[in-house]
Amino acid sequence: MSGFHWPAWTIDAEQLRRLGLLEKVPLFAGLSRRQLGKLLVKLFEKEYEAGETIFPEGEPGKALFIVLDGSVSICRASLGGEHRIATLGAGAYFGELALIDDHPRHATVRAEEPSALLILYKSHFDDLIEGHSTIAIRVMGNLLKTLAGYVRMAQAPGADHNPSTMPTRIAAPEQSRTPAEGTGR
Amino acid sequence: MTPDEPTENLKAAGPSDRGGLMPPPPSIIWAVGIAVTGMIIYIARGLVLILLLSMGLAYVINPLVKRAESVAIKRGLAVTGLYLGIVASLLVTAYFVVPRLRAEISTLSGSYPALTQRLDETIDAVQEEIVTKYPSVGRLFPAREARYDRLNAFIKEQTANLPSLVSHLATIVIAVVFIPLFSFFILRDSPKIIAFLMDRLPPAEIETSVAVWCEIDRVIGRYLRGLALDGLVIGVAASLGLWMLGVNYPLLLGAFSGLANVVPYVGPILGGGLAMLTALMQFKALTPLGNVLILYVVIKLLDDVVIQGQTIGKSVHLHPMLLLASVTTIGHAFGLIAMILAVPAVTVLQEIAKLALERRRFRAGVTGPHPGKSFHIQPYVC
Repeated sequence: MSGFHWPAWTIDAEQLRRLGLLEKVPLFAGLSRRQLGKLLVKLFEKEYEAGETIFPEGEPGKALFIVLDGSVSICRASLGGEHRIATLGAGAYFGELALIDDHPRHATVRAEEPSALLILYKSHFDDLIEGHSTIAIRVMGNLLKTLAGYVRMAQAPGADHNPSTMPTRIAAPEQSRTPAEGTGR
Repeated sequence: MTPDEPTENLKAAGPSDRGGLMPPPPSIIWAVGIAVTGMIIYIARGLVLILLLSMGLAYVINPLVKRAESVAIKRGLAVTGLYLGIVASLLVTAYFVVPRLRAEISTLSGSYPALTQRLDETIDAVQEEIVTKYPSVGRLFPAREARYDRLNAFIKEQTANLPSLVSHLATIVIAVVFIPLFSFFILRDSPKIIAFLMDRLPPAEIETSVAVWCEIDRVIGRYLRGLALDGLVIGVAASLGLWMLGVNYPLLLGAFSGLANVVPYVGPILGGGLAMLTALMQFKALTPLGNVLILYVVIKLLDDVVIQGQTIGKSVHLHPMLLLASVTTIGHAFGLIAMILAVPAVTVLQEIAKLALERRRFRAGVTGPHPGKSFHIQPYVC
């Protein structure tokens, strides 16, 4: 079901597939198909080979990434070398805090296998939400819920309160290959 | 001296001392690269200008293509459909507007031989009006014969440039044909072009490099779309105003004012100046000239305060002096039409400079909030 009432020869099947994936991304929960379509045209698609770095730790965050195909691993440098803290599959997203500010990334993300990612840059996201308050409210609401989840985890009894290890701990439970909460900042 | 010493000296010496060539520092390579690119752009400026204007047109139309894409319509189909729609609308507009516009142009060209005489009569009439009102000013005006000679010399000098004007017209005709054609292909294939360029970037650099492009894209897109809409509103307002004041050729002058408005600072002066000259020659009096001046001042004020806020908005953050300098420089190097591109060109340079500064800041280890933009963080969460 395309959800759009156009003749089949006018429909872009690849665009529909991406729309179907966006519908499953928790960050965009509550958006209608048309709103998701407006978001979709702001995204870039990029393919990465296995082992290629998507972004390194310490670089300024500029974009949110959504895994379209394949899988990525999120790694953090520590005294004993780099260690993997999460693996994300199709439908998962990471780097969502870049939609808020451009502070440095807390983790390095690499493609585990040949992967295709959708990239939403902050400037394009800002451009979209300026003209569409409903989209802004829904996405920002979902983002706040995610952040509230991080904060609660950090505040939970017995949690490690060392700020330098916080992102690792927050990301650690997300060993998922299905749509997941974001990590890697 | 020990036998080891000459070897150590050889090790300490640079590769050039060993007969090899030292690679030049990256800054030199960049400087040479920029200089060569600049030279190529200058030599092929005619083609570059057409390409840039095609990109500008693509920017103006792109939101409509994106709208079609957002509802999963194939991009190629959307672009073709849109172009057919634009051609159809232009034909309909031409059917209603062109006969009137053509009549205005033929009247104007028919009266061209008497232009010197009419201009002279106009100046006489205005001079007389001023002298009647303020007799003491009369001695400031030159004798009629001297003025007539100067006017004739000026018109002769201008008409001597007619052959170059004809070659300019040929360029305009080429541009009119090629700009829509190039913009069609740019619009249709831009995702492929962007994907191709992204594939050429090192993967780990994509995020920061493409972010700069996104910011440039956002600013230029808004600016050019706003400018097109602004020009349309100004053109309609000027046409209506001139028609209400009874000035000849309101459509022609309005269209020129709308088109000229896209050139910052210089455009509004050109548009208003031409309308005032027409009013002066038509009425041979100061009052209608004042009315046209007031009309253009009101339009300019409305444009600055109301229209631009709704169309261009705060998309461009350039200092007026920088903007004026870039308009003058680009206009001098590439011609009047290229002045439209002054703002996008400076915006691109500004964004690249911002990226370079940001990277330097990060490399220097300044990773906190921007200076002056500190954000209060509560010491607790509950």
